[in-house]
Amino acid sequence: MYGHAAELQAERSPVSARMDEHARLIQAVALYRDRAAFSRLFEYFAPRLKAYLMRAGAPAGAAEDFAQDAMLTVWRKADLFDPSRAGAATWIFTIARNRRLDVLRREGRESALPDLDLTPDEPERPDDLLSEAEEAARLNEAMRQLSPDQMAVLRLAFFKGDAHSEIARALDLPLGTVKSRIRKAMIKLRLILEPTRGQE
Amino acid sequence: MTALRHTVSDERLLAYAAGGLSPPEAVVVAAHLSFRPRTAAFARRLQALGGQVLRDLEPEPMGDNALAEVLARTEVDAGAARTPPPLNDMPQLPEPLRRLPLGPWRWMGPGVRVRDVHGPRDGACRVILLEIQPGRTTPRHTHGGVELTCVLTGAYATETERFEVGDMEEADHQTLHQPRVVSDEPCLCVAALDGQILLDGWLGKLLQPFVRM
Repeated sequence: MYGHAAELQAERSPVSARMDEHARLIQAVALYRDRAAFSRLFEYFAPRLKAYLMRAGAPAGAAEDFAQDAMLTVWRKADLFDPSRAGAATWIFTIARNRRLDVLRREGRESALPDLDLTPDEPERPDDLLSEAEEAARLNEAMRQLSPDQMAVLRLAFFKGDAHSEIARALDLPLGTVKSRIRKAMIKLRLILEPTRGQE
Repeated sequence: MTALRHTVSDERLLAYAAGGLSPPEAVVVAAHLSFRPRTAAFARRLQALGGQVLRDLEPEPMGDNALAEVLARTEVDAGAARTPPPLNDMPQLPEPLRRLPLGPWRWMGPGVRVRDVHGPRDGACRVILLEIQPGRTTPRHTHGGVELTCVLTGAYATETERFEVGDMEEADHQTLHQPRVVSDEPCLCVAALDGQILLDGWLGKLLQPFVRM
């Protein structure tokens, strides 16, 4: 029951004190197969996942199936969620992102395509290690510093992928303007989000 | 150090983080990022931006039974084990490619062989592994669509540039391509091809009927 999630909240450590509500719900699903916790996640995220795919151009029916499948993956893979590495929304977005590639293949089965970042033990360079809270703070700062124009084009890029001509049509802008706006927004994001400068 | 040279473009990286690349392109970018930990970390940060975009979306109401249906599926699913697909026969491949099934090697000219990477397809776009022996070139060719290539071992040079392990090259249909291997070891590449490769020149015309690339 959802009581488990409340329990997690009660005995929270300094790390989980920064954890968002949704992160606690995912942990309750992982630890106790808590259906009430899952239902609350579903109520919040499924309609947004559906909206995400509809913005990407899918019809409502397919988008609803997509949202259901993605939420089933949340249930199955909840134990891979590491709240110190990613926020709940980021983790669920990543599931949707991997899932969207599967949908593109028009195949129902679980694919062997490289999934991003669902496993907690991905090696990372030490200088890139920031806590989830630090990452979230930087992200907020970055989003504050982007212009509304840049934010609009980034948002659309998340829905439309590399279909820059569709983004251009949606914003009624020349293709070149869309591309240069994305590049400038990415330069700003790098400056703010990357902990250290350097070469690799 | 030739850092950040021959890497993925910002637009393509963003599309990758967003899940908006075709699966074959995504496979090549994933292979490339396994050689570029800093860019890979940036891609993960872009996904956090994706999480925020997801939160900010105006919700689309789900059907009345949507939740009940998924809960019913979790019942059936309870014992389902997650078994990853088996590793393929090439331990030298980077981790993102290790569990993709591979077709047989095919001869493609002197010192050149190719094998299909099964799975990631999108219409005419697919993934291949290409191995070229030291000093050899592929036949001159042009492409129907964009070709993304990532060097996995060795190095090759085109008319103007040199590509080493981990480097990525984007070529479009205007590029006339004749990479020559400049490393002492064979050059192994993973490539996403869109459309047929058109061979050019007398050797190409000779080979075209026999070469299925």
